[in-house]
Amino acid sequence: MSLFFVNILDGLVMGLLLFMLCSGLTLIFSMMGVLNFAHASFYMLGAYFAYQISTGIGFWPALIIAPVVVGVLGALVERYGLRRVHQYGHVPELIFTFGLALLIEEVVQFLWGKSQMAYEEPSALAFTAFSIAGNSFPAYKVFMIFVAMGIFLVLLYILTKTRVGMIIQAALSYPNTVQNLGHNVPLVFMGVFGVGTAMAGVAGVIAGPVLGTFPGMAFQLGSIVFVTIVVGGLGSLWGALIASLLIGWLQTFAAAYNVRMSDILISLGLERPADLAESALRDLWTLTLPQIGPILPYLLMVLILIMRPQGLLGKRET
Amino acid sequence: MTTSADSPLTAGTRSLVPLSSAMPWIIATVVLLALPFVFPSGAGLTIMNQMAITIVFALAYNMLLGQGGMLSFGHAVYMGLGGFFCMHLLNWVENDGLWLPLPLLPVFGGLFGLFFAFLIGGFSTRRAGTVFAMISLGVGELIAACSIIVVAFFGGEEGVSGDRTYGPEVLGVDFAQQSEVYYLIVCWMLLSTLAMYLFSRTPIGRITNAVRDNEERAEFLGYSQRHVRWISFCASGFFCGVAGALFAINLEILTEENLNTTQSGIILLLTFLGGVGFFVGPIVGAIVFTLLQTVLSLYTEIWQLYLGILFLATVMFFPNGLTGLMAMHIPSWKAGRLGLLMRPYAKMAVPALAFVFSAAAIMEILFHAREASVGSEEMTLYGMTFNSHGYAPLVIAAAVAAASLYLMKQIAPSVREAWSEANPVRGDS
Amino acid sequence: MSAAENLAASSAAIELRDLDKSFGLARIIQNVNLSVEPGERHAIIGPNGAGKSTLFNLITGKYAPTSGSVFMNGQSVSGLKPYEINRMGLSRSFQITNIFPKMTVFENIRCGLLWTMDYKYSFWHLVDRQTDLTARAEEILDQINLTARRNDLAGMLAYAEQRALEIGITIAGGADIIMLDEPCAGMSTSETQYIVGLIRKVTEGKTLIIVEHDMGVIFDLADRISVLVYGEILATDTPENIRGNEKVQEAYLGSAEE
Repeated sequence: MSLFFVNILDGLVMGLLLFMLCSGLTLIFSMMGVLNFAHASFYMLGAYFAYQISTGIGFWPALIIAPVVVGVLGALVERYGLRRVHQYGHVPELIFTFGLALLIEEVVQFLWGKSQMAYEEPSALAFTAFSIAGNSFPAYKVFMIFVAMGIFLVLLYILTKTRVGMIIQAALSYPNTVQNLGHNVPLVFMGVFGVGTAMAGVAGVIAGPVLGTFPGMAFQLGSIVFVTIVVGGLGSLWGALIASLLIGWLQTFAAAYNVRMSDILISLGLERPADLAESALRDLWTLTLPQIGPILPYLLMVLILIMRPQGLLGKRET
Repeated sequence: MTTSADSPLTAGTRSLVPLSSAMPWIIATVVLLALPFVFPSGAGLTIMNQMAITIVFALAYNMLLGQGGMLSFGHAVYMGLGGFFCMHLLNWVENDGLWLPLPLLPVFGGLFGLFFAFLIGGFSTRRAGTVFAMISLGVGELIAACSIIVVAFFGGEEGVSGDRTYGPEVLGVDFAQQSEVYYLIVCWMLLSTLAMYLFSRTPIGRITNAVRDNEERAEFLGYSQRHVRWISFCASGFFCGVAGALFAINLEILTEENLNTTQSGIILLLTFLGGVGFFVGPIVGAIVFTLLQTVLSLYTEIWQLYLGILFLATVMFFPNGLTGLMAMHIPSWKAGRLGLLMRPYAKMAVPALAFVFSAAAIMEILFHAREASVGSEEMTLYGMTFNSHGYAPLVIAAAVAAASLYLMKQIAPSVREAWSEANPVRGDS
Repeated sequence: MSAAENLAASSAAIELRDLDKSFGLARIIQNVNLSVEPGERHAIIGPNGAGKSTLFNLITGKYAPTSGSVFMNGQSVSGLKPYEINRMGLSRSFQITNIFPKMTVFENIRCGLLWTMDYKYSFWHLVDRQTDLTARAEEILDQINLTARRNDLAGMLAYAEQRALEIGITIAGGADIIMLDEPCAGMSTSETQYIVGLIRKVTEGKTLIIVEHDMGVIFDLADRISVLVYGEILATDTPENIRGNEKVQEAYLGSAEE
């Protein structure tokens, strides 16, 4: 039972982290129609910048500075890259962000090398917050939950209580109509892109010490992020939240419980083949839950697409 | 016709050379048959084999991207699956005495690719654009991840390997020699290219273009946009499978690397580099990319960084790719005014090359300074040996880069002038 | 569809029965009943925002009705996809020019022919080799007077020519029921005359449903007119009677002042 509780918290950390990326991605997609393939690359930049800054002046300043730098970079990308490609249509835009993701990974390798950085949580948080029956829960993860929740609340406040939030909401419910509202649309776009990438940056700063800071981190999380927003329903913020938590827990629980396929098959009354190495079904017999954990989000996506093509909470059919 | 605002994806299937006549095909065949006599070395054959396989794959990929407006991020899967299946076929030929002449193997690779494209296309082609792209990525990741779990089919980390020489001999050839394999691959490449070209001229091929440009209109002409996309997806899957089979024949081993996302990314990159709006675009892309990859990786460790920059620059500034750049010059060539452009181009080339080399020098020096182990601070670049940790080389490279950039700005107006002179705007008739 | 509905269906080319369409809370089409006989030229007029285009989209399958049904030649087509309805013999044009701009004029027409000339999803024919296809496409090009621009990109045509091409694509498939959405919008008087002549010529013997703002065109072309105001049909009658209808005049003048 205590392991279950720890897994609930671990899954929550993972889910909230995913949501920090998904929410920015969803906002950008809903307003501009662009799915930013390089979104997770900004998350990676957040981690690397934070690492670099924290070696100089410590973790806490990095927590503020790194996301700001990432956000400014994001805004510049929108202003000088995306806006130029926009005239060619959505698919070339997507190709542009894909190229950007490739380039950022190469630049990161160029500047920091291929190996993992020694980016660790601040010593102030390097203690065990509590432990239940031998399962300890680090304070840093508690801190992550608070940061993610805080960002979520700020986002909620901006979206529901401010003027800019109103425009964004209008854009969410009626895509392609913001142009008619008479606001400075290019500036709003640049701002949304900047804020969205900055949020990815924050996620990078706080996730770097836990998930590792290495050149492959963008792609590792990035493809899960895309799966999440397809599952949640493209353009739906609440859908993204639900799907993030769902996938967070799915992955955590799959990794924690060593359910073996052979046990299931035997309990079903099947007999284990004697010469397993020769059997064509040998992979089925040796399968374990932690082994298939990483592919569960993709399986979920395929199932959702077949049974509910618009995603969990999406209105538009995908 | 090729203004810069032309979206590369809605541009018609223009052809640089009139592929509908037999001449280009005959010339290509003769050249391909003669190439092994020009480059008889093993390395030459290796590169040419790789190029030919990439051409098939890139053309199949462009059936979706260029012809159908569908951006796939997981297309290596169909090539990889076809290849793995063919590896198993080869092993059955070797161990179980299955009768299958090697030249027929690509048919089965193609059918296997087609089968998977049929399954996955069933739900992924429901929509085009962003949604299709996302689903293709997810499915690609899923199958790539499965390749580690389903060891029986994918062979785990070491992959599946075999031997191509156990099949029945064809005309006394057992395909042990690399040159024999070259001719086999080239035959299949020509056949596939011709088939894919002809496909674009069939009713379904034309309607694929129509759905790409205006899916709503096509629906009101009796065509289900979803079925049209599904069919072209299947056709693309078939030729990807053929490419996979050729890969299996050539290297006799397939691993997880053949179907992961990196591989899918490379095919997108080189197709776009060549130009997606043209039938020959992917061919140009495959040739240039393979050469670039081979040459650059010989000289520098950060060649992927250069490729990334090149790709992004192409997307931003030349969305019609290399073929588009060439096609831009056709009107002036036909008008006999291409000569007007040669002098300004030559003048521009000097500072442009200087800029490229000096900018590359800056990156190489920085990279060396960070990567080099303690004590080995010497580096050799362009035949010069110097200490990469000093400031002098960096300053010199930066100065050259700045100066050549300045010169390029100075020369640019004269190039623009020559361009408008070579391509006079026709008065309204 | 129940058997009772089937029996009740008339021989009308298009019949709308209690048709309703809402978008969220807005009820755009309210309880519309209409019957268009085979061979009839029927016009739908009404002020802006009356729901004319929505009605078009309901008949052609772009939208599914909220309630009520659409019958075509006595068969219910409610909820069918546009391509399914098209295959049953209904073709439409669009208010905003909707052609294949990056294909040649000839190819545009040919795309309109492929399905009904039984090429469908074929991958064993080469389009350029099919003489019947080429001959028929050229015939239509001749009908719409675009033979001279055969090999030009459709996107390069003048506006009036694009509208003519749009009509050409629409009739190419040989559908019996033709629906034209504001074919004369944004045209000069002489261009309008040209297009009206064209419509008359190419819809000979077919059922025509047309939405148009230009009253000259309507009274010139239509056998009967339906007036749509705020999603409801105010009146359906011959042009003379509509001209004299007080309710119609009131609604039109009223909305014109707004």
